[in-house]
Amino acid sequence: MGFSIEASVKNVKTGVKKVREIHLSGLGEKLKAAAALFPDPRDVKLPKNKEEAKKFAHDFWCGKPHGERRLGELYCDKTGLYKHREWRGVKDTFYYFHMIWLYNYANMVMDIVKFGSPVTFVKGLWRYRWMGQTYLPVLHWFDRGLEGLRGEALRASAWHYRAMTCVTINQFMNMFEADGKLRNGAHNDAWHHAMAHKETVWGGIFYPWMDRFKHIPLEMVPYFVTCHVNNHTVLNYIDAVQSIGLPGDPCPMCQAEAGLFVLDDVPDYAPFLITSNEACDGSVASTAIQDWFWDRPLFAMPQPMQFDDPLVQEHCANEIRDCWKFIEEQTGVPFNWELLKENLEKQNELMRFEWEKWDVAAKTANYPINGVAQALYRIYQSQYGEHFIWHEVDKKVSKIMTKCVEKKIDTFPKTRHRVIAWSCSPLYYSNWCTWAYNCWGLNTVINMDSLMFDMEVRTDTLDNCVMDMARYHEWAPMRRMAVGGMHHIFELWDYMERFHCDMVMMYDQLQCKGMQGVVGLFEDEFRKRNIHAIWMPHALPDKRTVSRAEIRRIINDYMTTVMKEEPLDPSLLEFDDDMSW
Amino acid sequence: MSVKKKILKAALRKEAKRIKKAARRRHCGIGCRVLRLFGKLIALLATVYAALFAVFFFDLDGKLLYYVVEPLLVRHYDRMERKNPLEMPYEMKSE
Repeated sequence: MGFSIEASVKNVKTGVKKVREIHLSGLGEKLKAAAALFPDPRDVKLPKNKEEAKKFAHDFWCGKPHGERRLGELYCDKTGLYKHREWRGVKDTFYYFHMIWLYNYANMVMDIVKFGSPVTFVKGLWRYRWMGQTYLPVLHWFDRGLEGLRGEALRASAWHYRAMTCVTINQFMNMFEADGKLRNGAHNDAWHHAMAHKETVWGGIFYPWMDRFKHIPLEMVPYFVTCHVNNHTVLNYIDAVQSIGLPGDPCPMCQAEAGLFVLDDVPDYAPFLITSNEACDGSVASTAIQDWFWDRPLFAMPQPMQFDDPLVQEHCANEIRDCWKFIEEQTGVPFNWELLKENLEKQNELMRFEWEKWDVAAKTANYPINGVAQALYRIYQSQYGEHFIWHEVDKKVSKIMTKCVEKKIDTFPKTRHRVIAWSCSPLYYSNWCTWAYNCWGLNTVINMDSLMFDMEVRTDTLDNCVMDMARYHEWAPMRRMAVGGMHHIFELWDYMERFHCDMVMMYDQLQCKGMQGVVGLFEDEFRKRNIHAIWMPHALPDKRTVSRAEIRRIINDYMTTVMKEEPLDPSLLEFDDDMSW
Repeated sequence: MSVKKKILKAALRKEAKRIKKAARRRHCGIGCRVLRLFGKLIALLATVYAALFAVFFFDLDGKLLYYVVEPLLVRHYDRMERKNPLEMPYEMKSE
């Protein structure tokens, strides 16, 4: 048991030999790569004098001020994962840890138990690609959208994400509970009590049967949500539909929706289907494929393109009535006016709160919701329709917003420009506005998707109600202000004024033939009105056409060359997140 | 002092500690035991909390999902047998 120098030298030599072996076997490279996923302790700068110590303690307690954060240095190369999550100061870091990370992981489990059985969930996860690849990285989707936020803005925006997660879980659990594919083709009671519809058919159409039936949009989770949470998934479906002969240039949304059927990745969860032509004729084509591959009774309820004509509105109202007749025939359950009224009134409540939010966003600097949370929550809520979680979340957000207004809290204090985002956003980079605020101080106050359904539905008489429902149906996403005629597309100027915006982020969906047709008209108007506008090209769900790095480069170029501004956080100017979710 | 002596002394000290601890446990009442159990529970919870915070802070959940879970799932989905919907005649309708 003695100590000898010879033995120690021998041990050291053996160690060196082993390290060399590891290096030669390639393991060394792997270890190096693994180490790059974590923060380098050498980067931690310890304070050298009293001043620095004071600053160090302040940054630890309150978080670094905007401008010193260097958020870009937190990313692992290419993957967009974090070497470590952001330190936002003690209070906000632990709020994030407890009330966002832990709370949402716990609720993702609780919601599954609440809306179905965990066994069905596992079966669904194992069966459907869009499910497995999307459900798991949800918290990373939160992270991307909430980067750099502090205080009340962090809290209110996170509640919006929570609501969307809850509704998504509810939808896919309803799908799986009724899914014949998970039960060897057998159709259970849940299957007979489910109604399928395209994601662009408003959920309000189904309110008269809400007590006994569940309406589940066909593509809202498999396509729309997946693009935001994990954009790798949708590429499989786009490629699948192109592999059977579709050219690459139609709208990638319609391609992906059809691709889900080509890959046989759609649950068999309902006995019939209601479709629409939304947003364009590309969608009509994908409906033809859905009709072919799903092979079940179908009612087509197209939204008119030019909907301002009162005769067209009458026609649209009649189509809604015909749709209700079709549902009655299929389900054997009569239309329930009281139920429709009750649910519409609940939805009107949501609209009234949304107006309150818009008011605060337009007239104050105290609006606590960031651009991406505002856009996604509102489009999801207004398109899916009534759900208990919207009301719960609105109550919480209302409290936060009231506090912000009463205490005059400047929620986005580094705002340099108030931005309105117009047209359809890139689904694979919906969190660009979080990046734009952190990097350049571009605060996206409002966006087109939020503003589409700017109305209450009357519930005094059935006739009035149906006319209003027809209007709501006509104002569908990507219709009213995208391909719904010049008058509506140019509502932008009024909203810019109303929300006191000085800059436009103009989305340029490269594969949308409708919006491509008005690029020149917009450019003329921007020049005439002397408005700063940045064109953001993208291909809706497909990140391969215009990458996220390219989008950032375009904004960076505009901000440096035209606006002649310096970035707030230079570390965010350029980074590679090509392989990120 | 030689190394052997040092080791012997340390072992004796450890043994004495163990004997003392056992004697203390024999004389410990229910209250004392409950307190000790409570202490252990707190220690366990603190460890779990610290571990969870480490997972959160170093994005270990993201890394696990990205490098382990997702590739496994993708491999599974890629290998899955799927019905070829093109084999379905276009005219076919159930009704």
